Amino acid sequence: MSSPDKNRQDRDDIPPGATLREHVYDGIEEYDQRLPNWWLWTLYITIIFSALYWIVWYTFRAVPSDEERVTAAMQEIEARRFAMVGEIDDETLWAMSNNPNVIASGRAVYRDQCAFCHGDDLGGGMGGGLPLDDGIWKWGHAPVDIYSVVRDGSPDPTKGMQAWERELGPRRVAEVTAYILSYHDSDSMETAPDSPGRASER
Amino acid sequence: MTKRASQAKRPNLDSVTTINQDGSRFFLHPSDVSGRYVAARRFAAILLIAVYAGLPWIRINGQPAVFLDLFSRRFHLFGITFAAQEIWLAFFFITGLAFLLFFTTALFGRLWCGWACPQTVFLEHVYRRVERWIEGDAPARRRLDAAPVSGTKVFKRVLKHGVFILVSGAIAHLFLAYFVSIPQLYAWMTASPREQFGAFSFMAVSTGILYFNFAWFREQLCIVICPYGRLQSALIDEHTVNVAYDERRGEPRGKLGTEGAGDCIDCNRCVQVCPTGIDIRQGLQLECVACTACIDACDAVMDKVGRPRGLIRYASEQALEGKPTRLLRTRTVVYGLFMLAGIAVMLFSFSRVQPFEATVSRMTGQPYFLTEEVVRNQLQIRLVNKRNETAAFRVFLEDAPPGMQLAGWGEAMQLEPYEERTRPFILVQPREQYTGRARLDIVVESEDGRNRLRRRAEFVGPDPRVFQ
Repeated sequence: MSSPDKNRQDRDDIPPGATLREHVYDGIEEYDQRLPNWWLWTLYITIIFSALYWIVWYTFRAVPSDEERVTAAMQEIEARRFAMVGEIDDETLWAMSNNPNVIASGRAVYRDQCAFCHGDDLGGGMGGGLPLDDGIWKWGHAPVDIYSVVRDGSPDPTKGMQAWERELGPRRVAEVTAYILSYHDSDSMETAPDSPGRASER
Repeated sequence: MTKRASQAKRPNLDSVTTINQDGSRFFLHPSDVSGRYVAARRFAAILLIAVYAGLPWIRINGQPAVFLDLFSRRFHLFGITFAAQEIWLAFFFITGLAFLLFFTTALFGRLWCGWACPQTVFLEHVYRRVERWIEGDAPARRRLDAAPVSGTKVFKRVLKHGVFILVSGAIAHLFLAYFVSIPQLYAWMTASPREQFGAFSFMAVSTGILYFNFAWFREQLCIVICPYGRLQSALIDEHTVNVAYDERRGEPRGKLGTEGAGDCIDCNRCVQVCPTGIDIRQGLQLECVACTACIDACDAVMDKVGRPRGLIRYASEQALEGKPTRLLRTRTVVYGLFMLAGIAVMLFSFSRVQPFEATVSRMTGQPYFLTEEVVRNQLQIRLVNKRNETAAFRVFLEDAPPGMQLAGWGEAMQLEPYEERTRPFILVQPREQYTGRARLDIVVESEDGRNRLRRRAEFVGPDPRVFQ
């Protein structure tokens, strides 16, 4: 192929209307065809979009970032958890222990998660859990004491009772506590012997 | 450029017919064509559309035949349910499909594009049929394009685009049904858009994209966007069977009765019917979606002038030169082996999918606990029932160290359909039999004993010398 010359555009081996780029490299020539207009418009729209995106996200911060949304969601979960925990006191737990629906769901949780260690009938089990039917309460004999042991685990970490709140959530922690309480009554619990665990702490 | 001149636009190899010199779009109006390939392709298209529309409605084992349930991350395929944990199987499925495409391309060119691609199926057999029905044949459509605004033109255009939007909406709804199932889709459809804003906007956007694609964008997708068309030159060779023009027989072109002319009478029918605006007589081009419209068009002309059919036909370059086409060649063997490997691994791994899943992990707290008599490890086991039926599982130990016991797993555990449950898993070993860390197998077995999973676990404890 010849070197570039002024009359290249008039050659008859290129289609009418087509233009060639200025350069020739190793005899290779290039058409100067227009891109499709729809293609160019796609480009222009992405440019406009990126400008708007920049302004909305980074200049005005009009849309909450992912981090902010996660933080907000976590705070909402925390708030709900505290609201739930705040409602729990001895009276509500006793009231729950008289509600058959609560006992039924508490029993289901107990069967699934607790029976391995504490026994099918609360009598203590092979897994090493203390019996829950003998009227001896190692970590306190108030219903909220039992509730916090289930929720946060045993104060003595060498004993193996884990904190269950993460797994069960506050509602089911309360239900399973109510289920345990349904084996007892408030009079005998109040007169239960002082807790050995608490005693040793003092 | 006047309308008349643009109609006479002759395809060339240097530019794309459907894009004008100034970058604007040249809108094609392919002529009507009928023949055996068109009939066969229409049959294939109806079948494919029926499959696409039907799969979400057919129920197998209580679930739709294909239901990719993104919300609960369960994937139901023809009665088998896969959990999200099995997504790795998709690798073998997709590579198997890809090599199947390579294999068929090496043998028979772009069969996929012409016969099975949704773009072609919906465009040629739904949208263009609607256009033909409302606006008439190719010359009538060109006249309508050029005509000034009038009542008839507005009526036809509104009707056509209205039908296009309805069809696009139907395709989009069916598409969503694959991911949310028909009942959920129906519930969303009958609810107010304000309540289902996410689903509603998904539907509006996807309907809009489909409408734009099939009403206006059309062959631009195949020519400019689709990577498969560009890949084909790397996949084919001179033995690949393509839609091809028999140059030796056809050239030189000449009107009927011209002295020394070939079989091509230069009637231009093959160009008029082409949905991507090329002239197949210039050879294989990237725009060609192997739709076979030019074969049927040319065969009809050859019948009329009393010459044998097949001036344009499925043929390889070798065949056009009068040499034999070989199907068995290095390329097809290699692609075929890759395809078979993909399919074999896919079938093997699919056949090993268990109807349930088990994961063993440690409970929170200390790694082990000591009492007066025993060493205790607290593990938990998460069981997932992947089937749409209640199932019971036994869990027991194998290769367990001496004296080791598993607390509380005497009876089989029942799981509801698709239920997922985590339970403690307490291992105890008497101190006197404890000899240090040990590995053991936790076996989960379905109640009928047909399926079992084995999970390795480690029993940890203190140095056994502390007990001496």
